[in-house]
Amino acid sequence: MRPRLLLALAAALVLVPAALLLAFRMPEFGAHPLPYGDAATALMLHERHVTNMVSGVNFDLRAIDTLGEEIMLLAAVGGAVMLLRGARGEGGQRRAAAIPGRPIPRRSEAVVLLCRLLAPVTLLFGLYVVLHAQLTPGGGFQGGVIIASAMLLVWLGEGYAAWRRMLPGPLLHALEGGGAALYALAGLAGLALGDAFLANVLPPGESGSLLSGGLIPLLNLGVALAVAGGFAMLFLEFLEETRAPEEGEE
Amino acid sequence: MSPLPWLVAAWLFGIGLYGIVTSRNYLHLIGCLSVVQSATYVLLLSAGFRWGAGPPIFQDQPPGSLVVDPVVQALVLTDIVVGAAVTALLLVLVLQVHKRRGTVDPDALRPLDR
Repeated sequence: MRPRLLLALAAALVLVPAALLLAFRMPEFGAHPLPYGDAATALMLHERHVTNMVSGVNFDLRAIDTLGEEIMLLAAVGGAVMLLRGARGEGGQRRAAAIPGRPIPRRSEAVVLLCRLLAPVTLLFGLYVVLHAQLTPGGGFQGGVIIASAMLLVWLGEGYAAWRRMLPGPLLHALEGGGAALYALAGLAGLALGDAFLANVLPPGESGSLLSGGLIPLLNLGVALAVAGGFAMLFLEFLEETRAPEEGEE
Repeated sequence: MSPLPWLVAAWLFGIGLYGIVTSRNYLHLIGCLSVVQSATYVLLLSAGFRWGAGPPIFQDQPPGSLVVDPVVQALVLTDIVVGAAVTALLLVLVLQVHKRRGTVDPDALRPLDR
């Protein structure tokens, strides 16, 4: 028997009864007071004029946690890119990877048409989700991933070479780093005005308008740029992994 | 009825952990890790649920209406983002392990043997 299984069985002897006991002792599902949620809702609604409470919590009450999350994302993407590049270095090829003797089939016209129609619409939808972070469901993380999907649709429809021309690597690096920097620098505004780091110092605006929520739209923009750049960069590095090494590379 | 959401979370955690323990392939193991993580989503969202309450969005419902807990929903959002980034990093590690050792079976890997 493998040591992993032995360890798991030993742990399960203690943890399974404990989990079952807890499950039956937990508060009544859906019928217990939610003091923190109610306090956060009242604060966001009346003092920050935000209508999407989840964004309000993430980018105002827990803004420092979200900065940590943002930096964790940056570190994970940076680590992945560094490991994938290895000795390959920064050199990237602008042609698609090809295996000798195997022809690359042409993309079907239906795929090209569909991608050309969908990519701009997806990009627009992503921007909409980012800009309405404090109003309707969505925000920087969700919108950033949608924008990254629009970038991948360009790859699917136009092919690798055109994709690299339209979205060069340095642009993606700038999006990733610039977005994280925008978030951190926006936090300094509070310090400059004698308040706490990441304090929401901008006026709350009118409830339901695009400019409500003070600092929240700006922080969302930073997160969206970083997420879009980061996920597109990961995809680029995974694609680079499929091509044959050049002379002098690993 | 009452303990059902908590039992679902425990079940998801359990099957994911079983997969991690018995896995013979790191790619499969990372999938199991995602299942374990989804248990935390169920647990957090259940903890913030309230019968008869709407979503914590006031764009189309009057201020003061009863809503579910937005704090745990924000935590789940954080959880999902962290999960996606960590999954990408783990997949890269699997790729490197396969390149250097030619296997992705956790049992076939021994530390420091070349």
